[in-house]
Parts: sequence; structure tokens; C-alpha cells
Amino acid sequence: MGRYVIRRLLQGLLTLFITLFLLHYLMALSVQIRGNPALLFFGGERTPDPAMLAQVERLYGLDDACYDRTGDPCLAPFVERMQNYARGDFGTTLTGNQDVGELLAIWIPNTLRLFIFATITLVTLSMILGTWAARHHGRFVDHSVRGTTILIDSVPVFLVLLAYVYIIAVPLTNWARGIWGDESFMGQLFRPSYSADYPWVTIIIPGIIVGTVGLATLTRLVRASQLENLGSDYVRTAKAKGLKRMRITVVHVVRNSMIPIVTGVGYTFAYMLSGAVLTEGVMGIPGMGRMIFQAVQRQETNLVIVGLTASAVVVITVTMIVDLLYAALDPRIRYE
Amino acid sequence: MAQTLRVVGDTLPGADMNAPLLEVEDLQVEFAVRGSRIPAVRGATFAVEQGQTLAIVGESGSGKSVTSQAVMGILDSPPGHITGGEVRLHGVDLLQQDAETRRTVRANHIGMVFQDALSALNPLWSVGFQIGELFRMHRGTSRKDAKLKAIELLDLVGIPDAKNRVGQYPHQFSGGMRQRVMIAMALALDPEVLIADEPTTALDVTVQAQIMRLLRQIQEDRDMGLILITHDLGVVADVADEVAVMYAGRIMEQAGIHQIFERPANPYTKALLKAIPRVDTLGQELEVISGLPPNPGALPGGCSFHPRCWAAEDKCSIEDPPYETVATGHRSRCHFAEEVYRDER
Amino acid sequence: MSESLSSEAPQASLWKDAFRTMRRRPDVILAALILLFVATMAVFPTLFTDKDPTRCIGRDARQRPDTWFRGEHPLGTDGFGCDFAATIVHGTRPTIALAVTVIVFSILIGLTLGILSGYYGGWVDAIISRALDVFIVIPLMMGAILLLSLFRGRGSSGGLLETVGPPALALTLFGWMEFCRYTRAVSIETKNLDYVTAARCLGAKDRRIMFRHVLPNAVVPVTAVVPTTLGSIIVAESALAVLGVGVQPPATSWGVLLAKGTEWAGGGYIYLFGLPLVLLILTVFAFATIGDALRDALDPKLR
Repeated sequence: MGRYVIRRLLQGLLTLFITLFLLHYLMALSVQIRGNPALLFFGGERTPDPAMLAQVERLYGLDDACYDRTGDPCLAPFVERMQNYARGDFGTTLTGNQDVGELLAIWIPNTLRLFIFATITLVTLSMILGTWAARHHGRFVDHSVRGTTILIDSVPVFLVLLAYVYIIAVPLTNWARGIWGDESFMGQLFRPSYSADYPWVTIIIPGIIVGTVGLATLTRLVRASQLENLGSDYVRTAKAKGLKRMRITVVHVVRNSMIPIVTGVGYTFAYMLSGAVLTEGVMGIPGMGRMIFQAVQRQETNLVIVGLTASAVVVITVTMIVDLLYAALDPRIRYE
Repeated sequence: MAQTLRVVGDTLPGADMNAPLLEVEDLQVEFAVRGSRIPAVRGATFAVEQGQTLAIVGESGSGKSVTSQAVMGILDSPPGHITGGEVRLHGVDLLQQDAETRRTVRANHIGMVFQDALSALNPLWSVGFQIGELFRMHRGTSRKDAKLKAIELLDLVGIPDAKNRVGQYPHQFSGGMRQRVMIAMALALDPEVLIADEPTTALDVTVQAQIMRLLRQIQEDRDMGLILITHDLGVVADVADEVAVMYAGRIMEQAGIHQIFERPANPYTKALLKAIPRVDTLGQELEVISGLPPNPGALPGGCSFHPRCWAAEDKCSIEDPPYETVATGHRSRCHFAEEVYRDER
Repeated sequence: MSESLSSEAPQASLWKDAFRTMRRRPDVILAALILLFVATMAVFPTLFTDKDPTRCIGRDARQRPDTWFRGEHPLGTDGFGCDFAATIVHGTRPTIALAVTVIVFSILIGLTLGILSGYYGGWVDAIISRALDVFIVIPLMMGAILLLSLFRGRGSSGGLLETVGPPALALTLFGWMEFCRYTRAVSIETKNLDYVTAARCLGAKDRRIMFRHVLPNAVVPVTAVVPTTLGSIIVAESALAVLGVGVQPPATSWGVLLAKGTEWAGGGYIYLFGLPLVLLILTVFAFATIGDALRDALDPKLR
């Protein structure tokens, strides 16, 4: 077990390292092909004073000669960047000159809160719907669960969000405030945009909406694994042991079905990050997703790399947790 | 009597201890597949007494496993449906009992051993947990005591170093050892009847013999009724007291073990016997039964065996043969049972 | 050769069975009809409209489709006076072309890398698996946004390739992993099967084994995910367009129409947003339904 964990950890670190380098290289290529984003510092003025330009370039670590040679992987700045990260220095933003490390401390918790609600929604809904469909295998309930989840999945999340923000949110908020008052939980819940004063409540609805991404896939997975287990030999044995229905479900079906489901949730996580970009943009949540998109548009090289690094760390950690959970759930893996 | 030792709460209400241990009468099972109903068991009748071993022999698809699952009450439904007959334990018809009573009958009164122990044991729980679960759920035993009981049982079925192996998982056991775990589990609550469904099919020949010996020994020690389901007549020769031969959902012949082997009264049994390799026929070519078992969805008219039967006549394809007694305790389903019995055919 | 027969005969019946099961489901038939309609629009746009989407008359702008499917402008006109029916119909081809391009190249990359890594193992597998890990870490949308923003061109001027090229490239680069994973798993499984060992003993070359034995086995799981993936590519294209980094106006696609539509929807011209949205949802739903049915049909165990 210990060796398995260590091997998995090293693998994750390697993946992270390669990802970091790939991002860095893409950025370098972009600078090499399209010109220096440090120009932005001068508000789009095309011919700034060369001395000042050099100073700004130095400030943002873009002064290395490699940025003028197309195709150069720019190893020296990469090493420098890695050293800075190791010291906890994530640089500053081009516009506004803020410390990225401090901004991350605000953005990451917001995105994590979004993910918590999204994951809870996704897992609860798919478990309930999948189990329900499996119980009524081949009958009306099964078909309608399937049709409904596919339909929900077919509507792009950002469109649901737009519809929510522009059409549903305002009347719903007014209605809720009329009954429970402005400052109540319900009064804040349906707000069309995020509010820093209510960091948990105002993130619930966007979280639920993001949680419907991949609902059809996960429901399908739950249904399939439960069906497989319900028809398995060891469930037949459990019946022959005269165990109660509830006991069979909890001890012999659910745990065995958890393995594919845990894997499914792990993979869905990467897709949720994509959902976060649009959700955070539409709902005005100051999180990683919105930050990455804005940074890309403003060509904030450093910010994009930091943002995608954070997202890579999250994905790698989640996959690692999934693998470890896998080992914890299935004794056959521990000893291999 | 052994039954008096059993926990009071587990005795079957209305049970008559003088009635035969387990009787199955005219059991009918059908499967609903794509709108049509396919007969799997068509009137099986047999009985097991305490301390007796009944072997149910038949090719795959003959309905023997379905019969055992119907008796046990674990038939997958849908698609399976019991459409008629009785399964009486100490005179009580189990098919008339509610689900809760049926549940307590399982494991307490009837234990079951399955063919493939690797898939029949849950891969995610230790064998100790899976055996102990019976005591915890049916007897309210504590986790710790349940584990001790599990060790005791593993010891009983001949698993060496039971104390350490109790915490191991099914995949860590060899095939034969896994089957012993299965047996331990079936024996845990000291049932009066043990049903073993092809208990040795998935095992090596040498291990097969060990498992059969273990089953027989346990059956004798505990004075249980044993129903042994197998496709291999050879396996049952030195274990069974009574043999029922099944074909296409019907019992074709039933008799004491010696009767079956020495004076079969059914062409199908005869054909089966000829297909067993024997020392006294060494060097000769084994006879095979030509053709395949019939599709249960499209059974041939008359006697189901007639298309493959060497003794068949026109009559066989039209008329269903009756199940007749040819000698005391010896019944056969064949138009020419008497002649076959007297070896005139 | 008998060895190849043994591996292909069950495949043929698997497909035949799958087709037969699918044909009986009403939802699949409906989905197929929707897709047929969309495909016809993409290939023969002139069957549906005789207007030129680029001929716009300013004084006809923002005519609501009051007459519905009849009259001069069956679905009204957009903000610049272009016939909206023609715009939608002609926007179908780039959308579908993009989806098909992405899927074809993703499958090619995925199959090739998957077979190579699964079949050869060793360092080939190590490198490809690492690449797989890295690309999975960067989610499809993020990767596409990153690439498209970093290397944004100066706006495209009309040709199908130029319009569809950049988003197609970006989506392909971050879309091949699923196919690679499936193919790799199948290759590892297949290369140890008895008939493959037998073929190798008979002196079959690596390439022959890969094409004759491994590839046919990979086709089943790969095909099963194709329709669903096509749906998600169409969604991704529209998301990229709404973010302003996908297909660039003046070229059209459903995504571009949606992006423009969001601006008009608030002002009371909901049809400019609603019609392309309905078309997009129907298409994605049709793909997902067929994908779901196909997976069921190809994996009888899960039925």
C-alpha cells in the first residue's frame, strides 16, 4: 500500500511538471509569434520608450533574449519560474500590479465552494436516479430517467445559466424576499449574481447548475454498476444467506457499485473546471475560472500559467484521491 | 432429535417434525422472456430425508439449478416465476409463506453451496466478515464472537491456519479452499438441508474428490439432508443414496443409487451411464448422446427426449410418457420403461 | 484464414444485432430523423432556402417572424436585415463540418497512439501514457480557450477551412484522449488473447496483427462514444463562440448565432437566440440519444 501511494505521488508530480513545462512553452511560443504583452503596460501605445520597455520587460521576466527566437523553449525563464513558485512567489498582475499569491487566496476558495455544491448535486442526483432506474430496469421509470438526464445534459450549461440570470433569478428573488425578507437565507439564495457578503449562500445555485454537467453519464454509470451487482453471484449468495433486502443493498450492492462511481466522479471533475469558466463569468464569481479566462484575454502570461497550474494541481490531486479510494474500496488492488 | 437443539425462534411455525424433511411436489417454473413464457421446470417431484443424499443429475439447461433456486426461494423474479407445485419443509409449504418467513428459512433451515466460489463470494469483504455476517444478522452475535465462530467453521471445513486466514479476502484463497469457505458459510447456522449446486465443477479432479469427501463427512456428522446437483453421474456414485435424472425440465427417472447404476429404466439414463469413463470399459470408445439438449422455448412434442433417443418409436413423438413405477422406489418416465428396466430394449 | 474468421464473425453479428435493437426503439428513430434533417441542411442548404445570407438590406432589419415559415422571410430577419432562415441554414455547414473534422482527427490520433502504446508497451507506452495524463489534466474547454486566445489570428475572411480551422485544431488537440484510453485498454487486452498469440506464432507481422486483430476490437468501444462526443463538440464550439474565441464573425456557425443572439434576446428579439438554441439542443439531444442506445446495443451486458 505504502509503495503504491508513493509511486502514485511521484507519477502525479511528474505529470504536473510536464504540464507546467507545456504551458510555459505555449506561452513562450505565443510571445514569440505575436509580440510582447509587456506592451499592454503602456496602454496599447505601439512605440514606448525603449528604456522603459526594457524595464517593464525585466519587471515581468520577459527580458530574456529567448522570447525573440521563435521555437526556443526558453528554459532559463522556466527554471526561474519554478524557483519562484517553490518560494511561494507567484508574481504580480500586469494590470493593477497586484500580488497573484494574494489573489489566489481569494479565488481558490470561491471555486472550491462552487465545486463542493456541484459535486454534492451530481453525486446525490446520479445515485438516486441511477438506483431508481436500476430498480425499475427496462420499465417506464428506467426509460424516463434516461431520457430526462440525456435532455438535461444536452442543454449547454452556460445557456442554462444565462436563462437563469436573465429570466428566472429576479422574479424568484423578489418573491423570496417578499416572504422571508432581504437578509434571509432564501432572500439571498436566488440572487442572479455572487455577493462577497454571502460567500456560501450565493454560490449554491450556480453550484447546482454546474452539477448537472455529466449527469447523464454518471447516472448511466450508477445504473449499470448496480444492475451488474444486483445480478451478480455474490448477491445471490447474500440472498441465500437469508439477509434482509436492506442489508444486501447497503453491504453487498452499494459498496461494490462505489468503485466505478468514484472513478466517474473523478473524471467529471476536469469537466466541471470547464464549466467553472463560464459559470463564474456569468454569475460574477471571482474564482479561478473567471480569472483564467480574463487573463487569457488580457494576455497576462504569468496569470494564465499560475491559473492553469492551480487547476492542474486540483485535477491531479483529485485523480490521485480517486486512485487511493479505489485501493481502499477494493482489497484486490492493495495486494497487487 | 437434533431439531430440539436449534434456537427456538428459528423453528418453522406449524412444522411437523414427523413429516418428511424436504419434499418437492410437482414444481413448475417458467421464465418470461420477450413476452413468451418458457418452461424451465415441468413438474419436479422428489424428497430428501434426514441423513440422506439426493443427487439431481442432468445436462446444462435441464432445469436442475433452477429447481434448486426455486426451492431456496432465490429465483430471480422477473424473469423466473414459480407457477405451481409445493415445496414442503417438515410438512410446511414454503411457497405459501410470506417473504419474511422464507428469508429466515434460508441459511437457518436450508443452506446452499454454489458452483463458482470466486464469483459467489463478495470480493470486497473478508471471508470472516462474510461468514460472521450470518451470526450477526440471524443470531445477533457480536462482531467479535462472530469472528470466533467463523474461525471455528473454517477449522471445521479443513482450512489450515484458520485464525490468520479469517481476515483474508476471497481472491487470496485457492479454488478448493474457496469452495471450503462456501461450505463453511452454508453450514454456519446448522441447517437441516444443504443444497450443493455443482460444488465441484469448477475444480481440479483431485480437489473435487476432497470436496466431495468433505461434504459427505459433514453430512454424516450432522445428519443433514443433502441435495447434490451435478451434471456428472460419475461424481455421485459413491456419495448419493438416491438419484433423480432430469432432462428438459422433467425428472426422467428416480431411484436408489444402485438401481440407477445397475438397472436403469430410462433410455436417457442408460445413455448417460454409457458416457461415463469406467475402468472395466478401458480402451473402448465412449458412447456419446447424439444431438443437443432441446431449446426450452421449442420443446419437441411427446417425450422431450425422443429426437435423441435410440429406443424411440412413432408413439414417442406424439404421446407424453407417464411417470410410472417400475419397482419399489424406482420410477421412470418412458413409454418403454418396463422393457428398458428388464433390459429388453 | 480461419483465425481471422473466428475474430470477425462474432463482430459482424454484434453489429447486426446492435442495428436490429436500435431500429426497434422509437427514440432512436426520432433522433435519426433529426440528424438526417440537420445533415441535409449542412450538405444541401439550397433545398431549404433560396436566399443569400450575405445579402442584407438594412431597412428590412429586425422583422419578427410573424408569418412563420411563409412569406418573404420565413423566420424573420436579423439585426442587419439578413434573412434569418438563410443564416441558420447556412450556419449549419460550418458547425457540422467542425464537429466531423474534430471527431475524425481525434479518432485517428487516439486510435494510432492507443494501439501503439497498448501493443508495444514499454517506453512507447510510458511516453504516450504520460502525454495522456498531461492532456487530461487540462480540460477541453480550458485548453481550447488557451490555444485560441494565444494564437488568435486577424479574423477569418470566409473560406470554410479558415473559419473552422482554428477551433477545430484546438478541440482536436484536447479531444483525442478518450479514444486513446479506450484503444489502449483494448489493445492490452487483445494482444494477450489466444488467437493473437496463435497468429504471432504463425509468423504474422506486428502491423498485420494490429490491423487485423487489435483494430477490429477497438472499433466497438470507440464507435460507442462517437455520437455523444459529436454532441459535446457542438456544445464546445458554441461555448467558444459565446466567449468570442471560436468561429469568428462574419463567418457563421450555430455558436456565432447564439453569441449574437444573446445580445438581441434581451431587447425582445428572442427568436434570434431561441431558434438556433432549439436547433442546437435538438441536435445534441439526438446525438446523445443515439450514443446512449448504441452503447447499450454494443454492450449487451448493460442492457
